Amino acid sequence: MPTNDALMGMLPEHLLLGGIVAGIVTVLLRRGRTLALPVSILAVLASAGAAFWLGMNGTTAEPFPGQFAVTPPVLMAKGMLLLLAVPVLLMSRTEFEEGEFSILLLSSLYGLSLLPSATSALVLFLGLELMSIPVYALIVLAFRRPQSAESALKYLVLSGAASAMFLMGISLLYGSSGSMSAGTFAQALSATDALSRTAVVLVIVALFLKGAVVPFHAWAPDTYEGASIPVTAYMATLSKAGVLIVAWRLCDGAELSGPLVSIVAVLPLISIVWGNITAIRQQSLRRMIAYSSIAHAGYLFYALLGPSAGRLESITFYLVVYAASNLLAFAMVPNTGTDEERDRLDRLNGLFHRDPLAASLIAVAMLSLAGLPPLPGFTAKFLIFQTVVAAGYSAYAVLGLVGSFLGLYFYLRVIQRMFMNTGEGVRTTGTGEALARTAGVLCLLAMAALTIVPGWALARL
Amino acid sequence: MSDAAMLNWVLFLPLLGAAGLLVLRGNGAAVRIATVAVMTVQFLLAAVLYVHFDATVEGLQFATSVPWIGEWGVSYAIGMDGLNVLLVLLTAFLGPLVVLGAWHSIERDVTLFHVMVLLLQFAMMGAFLAQDLFLFYVFWEAMLIPMFLIIGIWGGARRSYATVKFVLYTAFGSILMLAAVIYLVQALRNAGGVTSFAFTDLMQARLPLDVQSVLLAAFALSFAIKVPMVPLHTWLPDAHVEAPTPGSVILAGVLLKMGTYGFIKLGFPLFPDATRAFTPVLMTLSVVSIVYGACLALVQTDIKKIIAYSSISHLGYVMLGLLSLDLAGIQGAIVQMVSHGLVAAGLFLLVGMVYERCHTRELAAYGGLARQMPVYAVFFVIFTLASVGLPTTSGFTGEFMVLLGAFNAAWPQHLDGTSLPLVLAVTAVSGVILGALYMLRFALTFLFGPARAPHQPLTDLSLRERSILAILVVSIFALGLFPDGALRKTELAARAFQVRLTTSQAGTAQAGAMQAGTAVDAHAN
Repeated sequence: MPTNDALMGMLPEHLLLGGIVAGIVTVLLRRGRTLALPVSILAVLASAGAAFWLGMNGTTAEPFPGQFAVTPPVLMAKGMLLLLAVPVLLMSRTEFEEGEFSILLLSSLYGLSLLPSATSALVLFLGLELMSIPVYALIVLAFRRPQSAESALKYLVLSGAASAMFLMGISLLYGSSGSMSAGTFAQALSATDALSRTAVVLVIVALFLKGAVVPFHAWAPDTYEGASIPVTAYMATLSKAGVLIVAWRLCDGAELSGPLVSIVAVLPLISIVWGNITAIRQQSLRRMIAYSSIAHAGYLFYALLGPSAGRLESITFYLVVYAASNLLAFAMVPNTGTDEERDRLDRLNGLFHRDPLAASLIAVAMLSLAGLPPLPGFTAKFLIFQTVVAAGYSAYAVLGLVGSFLGLYFYLRVIQRMFMNTGEGVRTTGTGEALARTAGVLCLLAMAALTIVPGWALARL
Repeated sequence: MSDAAMLNWVLFLPLLGAAGLLVLRGNGAAVRIATVAVMTVQFLLAAVLYVHFDATVEGLQFATSVPWIGEWGVSYAIGMDGLNVLLVLLTAFLGPLVVLGAWHSIERDVTLFHVMVLLLQFAMMGAFLAQDLFLFYVFWEAMLIPMFLIIGIWGGARRSYATVKFVLYTAFGSILMLAAVIYLVQALRNAGGVTSFAFTDLMQARLPLDVQSVLLAAFALSFAIKVPMVPLHTWLPDAHVEAPTPGSVILAGVLLKMGTYGFIKLGFPLFPDATRAFTPVLMTLSVVSIVYGACLALVQTDIKKIIAYSSISHLGYVMLGLLSLDLAGIQGAIVQMVSHGLVAAGLFLLVGMVYERCHTRELAAYGGLARQMPVYAVFFVIFTLASVGLPTTSGFTGEFMVLLGAFNAAWPQHLDGTSLPLVLAVTAVSGVILGALYMLRFALTFLFGPARAPHQPLTDLSLRERSILAILVVSIFALGLFPDGALRKTELAARAFQVRLTTSQAGTAQAGAMQAGTAVDAHAN
């Protein structure tokens, strides 16, 4: 149906756009402010539903030739990532009662949803920026602590630097090849001339910066710590997912070779080791998650080492599992005290005795992040390391696995705090507590489904 | 119900039980009774299957295999064979006894505790029954989490240190095993195009000796930590000392068998050539474990540590029997696994019972218990003698057959000129003497020495405690007096294991194996 291409292929995006407009209208109508959240959730659900529906029907379309194309696996991946925004929106009620949060989040999601289908470097750049810019505002939106402003500024500057490098890289490629298509980058990966090499390295460094890979990671802990819990949850999961999707898009169809391998393997490996070791020392939950996410960025970039064929599969599966686990943990963090107090890890001491459900679910999330079977975090990690071995990089796989072992300790420490230490504090039910818990339970159900029938999800990617 | 369906029930009953406990949230007594009921049904089903298990058929029985993650060749495959039949029965048998034994020793968070015990039971059963490497690995690792919580929540004063040590030790081994698993499956795929994690398919992989050696090292590290073999044993005494009584019973009764079961089911048969090459090293380590464990048990002042170190020594015999590659030795090793499970479980229960009364584990604080608790003393002496290997008890059957196997294996080689196997076999015998020494010293001071600290008058064992111990004693004598039935069930599997390890694999297909190995590394540069 070539005439409907533009409408049908971009249906998920159109629905998101509709949600943004509806959200703005409800916020403008003073009395409708509280409606913004349900409207946004509906929009996200409709958008994800549309993506799944199109994907199941086997839709292949190119609404904007050379710029934007959809295929069933891409649509399925898009649908899964969009669904993950639902728990973020649900837990936002604990911090933000007004509707601005939902609108900004939806705008950022619009950028994210462009990424998997973008076939030109320009759309990738646009999507990445659309995804990042609302986040600067989201960080300062709560503005309850001086750190928030600092945190937003840090993110703004570093994200800006990354964008500049990305733009520089793709413009070099455009200059030499005259094409903006994402495939140009894939070709440049195997080219040996200085211009292509420079362009490739610039783009990879930009992605490492945005994805917080060592040594470009230093902004992440500070930024995460300054943001409020729902925003940190969003940054650690979905906005990281966006960066990985860009990386997948650019390298699609190409196998890494030559000196590039050492960049794409060694830096993520250092990331895994450094992130896991440094996380042990943290006293702040958000800083710990930040270092953990630095380590997880390492595993994710590892997936690029493998053969091109199974890449989207392993990256999306990992992203969904990782995001669901992280969001589960954030959703269940008890909503007592100020934002700053909530963030302290020792607030979790003895949580099991005050709130068994929350403690048990956080424990499940931690074990999944640590990659212990039978939780889906294990399956996801297994998939990645399997592709690394399949590509012949057994030594990197072993080192990466040993690096992942280092992470076990700090995840277990969280469980020890909740179940084995004693701590004082009373259980309170604050704003949106029930909604946040619903978010947690939704994540848990997703994780359970991915544990019992991982093959179902994988077969559709 | 078909036998295969029954085996699925044996596996999944504890999981369903755990889910039921979470939903019903009963009070302490209801939770305990429900758990015992679930475990008892599981045991009865396992017992029926044990009786139905046909000793004249080689290979898997009651098997189920369903594709799980089709694309990767992962399947949900379980089944019983001669290697796991006794261990499945042992696991199901100890389950209800563990819960009964914990009746009064666990008072905090009762529901959580029983959920954890049921999950642990599920994972252990799954690890024994799994016939797919992915499934096996999932169950193997899944055992860690409930045990971590059992020691960490209900354990002693230094539980935090002990749990972290336990998890980090065992998880480190597992991580390297995971790498080996991935590599092995990839090598199989590169060689023949089959993508499968099924044990039977993986056994077809013909790898060159150097690849086999590396992979065996990774598997062996993981299994040897779990056994535990000296020098990887240091987590065990800490874990035992800090664990609550039921934790120690499960640890000694079943969990420690995971390592030796891993070797006999996977580690050795997957890499037979490498195993033969490493036999002198592994045998030496086994004998070192026997003697070193016994020596350390001799000097302990903490009663739980005595039994912990004696476990290290007893599991050394299991390894020695397996490595002897002699039919008597292999079968003796299997019997020794079961026997140690029963005896160590009984000893830890006994220690737990006296700890509940006196709240100390210092050997020096005890003495003359026999006068105050005569029934306790009778049971204690029986278990001590079984541990030492008194004829008519299961301990004798196991140790005797293992040593017989070790000598059988040592003798011809001795005539060929190398005397190492004979030296090892002779040294292993000294472990029996040391074992008698430390256990009798323990029993003497504990039961008959002069009474030390002015304990309050101690009550003797209750009916519940007597029943648990009596059931264990009956099973120990049953296995000691009539080992024939059990041995027959394991015979074909033990023979297949022996044949697998004594015929060269790599030699017949060296060329094909080289291709398989090099293809994996093709892109490495």
